[in-house]
Amino acid sequence: MELLIRVSDGLDRVITKIGKIAAWAGLALILVTIFDVITRRFFVLGSTKLQEAEWHLHTILFVFCLGYAYLKDAHVRIDLVRENLKERTQWWLEILGCLFFLLPFCGLVIWFGIDFVERAYSTNEISASATGLTHRWLIKSTIPLGFTLLALAGIATLLRKVVELFGPEDLRRKVHEIEEAEVEHLDEIVPTVLRDQDSPPRNGETR
Amino acid sequence: MAFDLVYYLPLFMFAALGILLFSGYPVAFVLGGVGLTFGFIGMMLDAFSFIQFFSLQSRIWGGIAESLVLTAIPMFIFMGTMLERSGVASDLLHCLQVLLRRVPGGLALSVTIMGTVMAATTGIIGASVVMMTLLALPEMIKRNYNIPLATGTIASSGTLGILIPPSIMLVIMAELLARSVGNLFVAAIIPGFLLAGFYMLYILILCSWKPKLAPPLPEDEGPSTAGGIAAMVLRSFIPPLFLVFLVLGSILFGWATPTEAAGVGGAGAIFLAILKRRLSFSVLKDVVERSALTGGMLFGIFLGATCFSYVFRVLGGDFLVTDLIEHMGLGPWGLLLVIMGLVFFLGFFFDWIEITLIVLPVFAPIVAGLDFGDHVPQREVVYWFAILLAVNLQTSFLTPPFGFALFYMKGVAPPEVRIQQIYKGIIPFVLLQLVGLGLVMAFPDLALWLPRVLLN
Repeated sequence: MELLIRVSDGLDRVITKIGKIAAWAGLALILVTIFDVITRRFFVLGSTKLQEAEWHLHTILFVFCLGYAYLKDAHVRIDLVRENLKERTQWWLEILGCLFFLLPFCGLVIWFGIDFVERAYSTNEISASATGLTHRWLIKSTIPLGFTLLALAGIATLLRKVVELFGPEDLRRKVHEIEEAEVEHLDEIVPTVLRDQDSPPRNGETR
Repeated sequence: MAFDLVYYLPLFMFAALGILLFSGYPVAFVLGGVGLTFGFIGMMLDAFSFIQFFSLQSRIWGGIAESLVLTAIPMFIFMGTMLERSGVASDLLHCLQVLLRRVPGGLALSVTIMGTVMAATTGIIGASVVMMTLLALPEMIKRNYNIPLATGTIASSGTLGILIPPSIMLVIMAELLARSVGNLFVAAIIPGFLLAGFYMLYILILCSWKPKLAPPLPEDEGPSTAGGIAAMVLRSFIPPLFLVFLVLGSILFGWATPTEAAGVGGAGAIFLAILKRRLSFSVLKDVVERSALTGGMLFGIFLGATCFSYVFRVLGGDFLVTDLIEHMGLGPWGLLLVIMGLVFFLGFFFDWIEITLIVLPVFAPIVAGLDFGDHVPQREVVYWFAILLAVNLQTSFLTPPFGFALFYMKGVAPPEVRIQQIYKGIIPFVLLQLVGLGLVMAFPDLALWLPRVLLN
């Protein structure tokens, strides 16, 4: 059981780290877009490369954050029934969901995704536009990679639920605390600094 | 005639999805898993072959990854998150509150205006209602506002976001319907502001008639000199308003594509945070990571829905739906009402993301072919339908007893707020919504006139 926790924590750390790094692609995306808009208006540069870079960044951003979002429990759930169930039942449902929905779905996308990348690699596929980006297989390979991370996130969750269901009491509590620390609760969406202050900094007052 | 299992398989697929979603497992993966499972069932019945799953890859690639339209979404999410976390939103609320302190129901009106402005920047009902509730409800309760009035105002203003552009839902609808995002944005402007206007009018009339529902703020709230007020307006009110108009304007006047406008919005939000001296590395990191999580969630559902609707289509789902509808023998109006009713019902349980991604691809081809005669020109039917859908969804999120937004609100409201009060407070707003929906249905020009004038 100890081992299961260590494995799931290790997976969690890797996935979260990659997710947090990939998240910065969002900022890069904004900067590239702005650069594109400005240069096109004033210097009339050919911007096919920039525009392709934009959706490259968008793809990197969402595909590497799928598993990260699962670990942080950011994926939407329909909670009407679930929240009235016993905790043990909820854990069982999570295990079944991982086994029958998440992992097979990831498996499918990875299986054909690798095929897809191989075709792009062997034909040396480049952008359809003459001035676009080359090495299409690189960006195409982010899809199977991202889904691999998602599958690993599924496995990490699965292991944790197994410990919670069958492990000794102290380990259960430990896993529960790890999970609680990860998930963000609804009322933390607005940072406390902005709430409950009588009023935001007034104007006319020098700061 | 023997029961044709293969023919009805898509129907079972829908039913299975409906039931399994209530397991509480993330929607994204239930969609993907059900699609996959029915693909395998289809293989057993010789209606599907394994290699057809390969097309899923090209759909993910071509439809989601290599899409410049969808690239706008992470940037709009970033813009909304940045405005919220850098305190621009709460400053705006405070400023409005001071400006409207002498007007009956001033605080409620401030919430509506803030909803209208900020609406433009958030895309997800849950998140925007939660944000508005946390920012405004404690304040309204402290000022002895009538609780049903306060909760009704917040829930209805907080859900305006899906309708008022730049809304993420409209971007996704445009992508699914293969129409222009700009057109859809412009079409949503008048209906969106119409609803906001209805809310404000209602609040104003109600609070003049029964002033004790909404006690006025003390006179000494905020700066008292004209100069102080002007400075506050300049700092808190003008910048976010300017940003939203910049984003909308650049699309309206054809300076930028919606995707580029989203980039402008994102950069503008960073700039505002710098201006307010609220931008630190930790705020930026927080915003970046939060936006990434929201984006991961949204595109997760997108990926799952792609799998689901692909298998649904291969199994003959489109054909089955068209068949069933033809058997009902409904005219265009009957059909429109049936679809609206269905969407309204789904809105009790699901957020717009699931509904739009599952229902729209099935019905869009049918609706596009409907002929409303002189009521709506044929080529504009799709835009009209999209706007009706948007208003309809917003209404269903607010309708007790299941309204999606109301549960989110209850989740973060102070404990003294009871769900009955929330239900009671929302009823007048739901009625206003229905009037709005009826108006757009009866007068399609409310949605179609502005794009015709501005974009053609």
